Amino acid sequence: MTNLNRTAREEQIQRGLAKRYRAEKRFQLYGAMAIIFGLMCVALLFTDIISKGYKAFQQTYIQLEVTYDAEILGITDLSDQNQVSLGDFQGIVKVGLKNRFPEVTGRKAKRELYGLISNGAGYTLRDRLVANPALLNTTETLWLVADDDIDTYYKSVGSAEGAFTGRMSEQRQDWVDQLAQSGSVEMRLNRNFFTHGDSREPELAGIRGAAMGSLLTLIITISLSFPIGVAAAVYLEEFAPSNRWTDLIEVNINNLAAVPSIIFGLLGLAIFINFFHVPRSVPVVGGLVLTLMTLPTIIISSRAAIKAVPPSIREAAIGVGASPMQVVLHHVLPLAMPGMLTGAIIGMAQALGETAPLLMIGMVAFIVDVPGGFTDPSTVLPVQIFLWADSPERAFVEKTSAAIMVLLAFLILMNTLAVVLRKRLERRW
Amino acid sequence: MNMAVDMPTELLQPKEEKMETTYPENSIGVPLIENPKMSMRNVDVFYGDKQAIYNVNVDIGKNEVIAMIGPSGCGKSTFLRSINRMNDTVESCRVSGQLTLDGEDIYSAKMDPVALRAKVGMVFQKPNPFPKTIYDNVAYGPRLHGLASRRAEMDEIVELSLTRAGLWVEVKDRLDQPGTGLSGGQQQRLCIARAIAISPEVILMDEPCSALDPIATAKIEELIAELSQNYTIAIVTHSMQQAARVSNRTAYFHLGHLVEVNETEKVFTAPEHQLTEAYITGRFG
Repeated sequence: MTNLNRTAREEQIQRGLAKRYRAEKRFQLYGAMAIIFGLMCVALLFTDIISKGYKAFQQTYIQLEVTYDAEILGITDLSDQNQVSLGDFQGIVKVGLKNRFPEVTGRKAKRELYGLISNGAGYTLRDRLVANPALLNTTETLWLVADDDIDTYYKSVGSAEGAFTGRMSEQRQDWVDQLAQSGSVEMRLNRNFFTHGDSREPELAGIRGAAMGSLLTLIITISLSFPIGVAAAVYLEEFAPSNRWTDLIEVNINNLAAVPSIIFGLLGLAIFINFFHVPRSVPVVGGLVLTLMTLPTIIISSRAAIKAVPPSIREAAIGVGASPMQVVLHHVLPLAMPGMLTGAIIGMAQALGETAPLLMIGMVAFIVDVPGGFTDPSTVLPVQIFLWADSPERAFVEKTSAAIMVLLAFLILMNTLAVVLRKRLERRW
Repeated sequence: MNMAVDMPTELLQPKEEKMETTYPENSIGVPLIENPKMSMRNVDVFYGDKQAIYNVNVDIGKNEVIAMIGPSGCGKSTFLRSINRMNDTVESCRVSGQLTLDGEDIYSAKMDPVALRAKVGMVFQKPNPFPKTIYDNVAYGPRLHGLASRRAEMDEIVELSLTRAGLWVEVKDRLDQPGTGLSGGQQQRLCIARAIAISPEVILMDEPCSALDPIATAKIEELIAELSQNYTIAIVTHSMQQAARVSNRTAYFHLGHLVEVNETEKVFTAPEHQLTEAYITGRFG
């Protein structure tokens, strides 16, 4: 009788067990599906960006024979800086093109012909002459940067969608094809992209200015927000009495973390620029605004890191006669540092990708020069992406994607740094 | 709804409260002695509105080991932590009454809590070595107070402290290894070494063996006996056997009241108060 009951009960349990395992399998499946969906989205995003952007790292160059004709250049004395910098170097490029296609006549046709080579080619020639004055009145064969229309056309020849002609007349296409057949057109690494600032000419536009701007802005941000944030967190966690005021401060810090970033831009505009007269469009003001924005993140993560330090360590230190400040400096801060650094770097990554507040303080300006200091006008990577995405030239599409790749590379680098730092500093005993 | 509110208070009411509610006006036995190292008079401790210690009067003699026993939540740890002002770190905690060390008021404005803790060391319930090397754990206190000017002096202090804590032989070859890598009993002896490295006059021990196995416990108890030659020790313990083994006098706390203080032997063989008797015979606790 009891035996019978027992088997019945066991069977019941077995049935229930099977059901429970099935439910668990289903549950795991949901999780796996969510992860797969997320990874697919990321993969899609990356493929799209990379497929559009990789071409920007290459640039079409045209081989041309140019003569440094002193007469055309208008240079009589090479030591005269002024003469050299005013020299008509673009003129000798035009002569070179005319010699290459002697059959071209008529003003309109000639203008189209001159458009094969970028306006920036003249600067290349000038730099070569300055570096080597012996070149004057000699002839050399050079690879010169092609115009962006040519670049876009040449890159699209033979692609699945067919050649993109855009603003290219048939005659120009013909010239390019001729040049290509004679081996005078080549794809080369696009140095300009890494060494130049912004430009209206896509073939001359580079990421350097924006990258430097981002770097300078982030230096200001980290050097202000980390010490201030850590000091605030330490005070709130270790020294502040718990009363209505500290409660109020805590609530407000949490609220600030959720404020839309553009509000911080408006605040920066009103306070730093209009009241304190900090110059607009410069890394200093950008850094200040981003400091305001990242402070709540850093304070919250630092407080969490400090809270995670076991109270027994604090008691031990107090017990042997450490003063409250010594407890913090000798024990709490070293133990909380990995967490605080991680929070800071994640805050920095957030600041690196921030666009909206910087629009309000003028960092959206078109700036050609690479900034060299904290008070030089500059822009930042995400704003540069925004600017390029807005530009009409077809060649800026790939530049935009390439700039996104650069920004993502920086973000991944910073997040990796955060992980490495945490692993390094974490005490495993 | 009502029940949910009423339940906890009912649970909080200890059974023994119903069976026995009279506390002696003054603690029974010999709470006060001549030439005490420390003396506590009319000590009340509050956590916010809640009173944890009621009018405690007791003396601790020089080189004496005094054990504090009593059921959980009776306030013995709270009282111990008042002696070196560890309770200062608890914001809601308030201590009133007079506590003196060598005749000096511990809670007076003149007394610096940091200086006080250099004289009154503490060993905690759970071994809590710093996440540093064994050497640095012991050297931390002397370094704080500037007790050694040269490396050799510090080495001497570390060796002496570890020797006194009975740990030197076990760790002398691995002083540069983390203190947290030791076994529980070794960690606790390291904590004792850390406490005695600053040559305190009084050592407070808050259930130092509660996280240890019997062998480690025996070692610590031996150590207490040795240390008592040089130090005054107040030890809170849950184990009556331990109190009986290590202490000269025993104080029995009950719900914040110091019921009875007497020679340890007397407390365990002939307790005078009913509550003490009930506790040591195991009727509650």
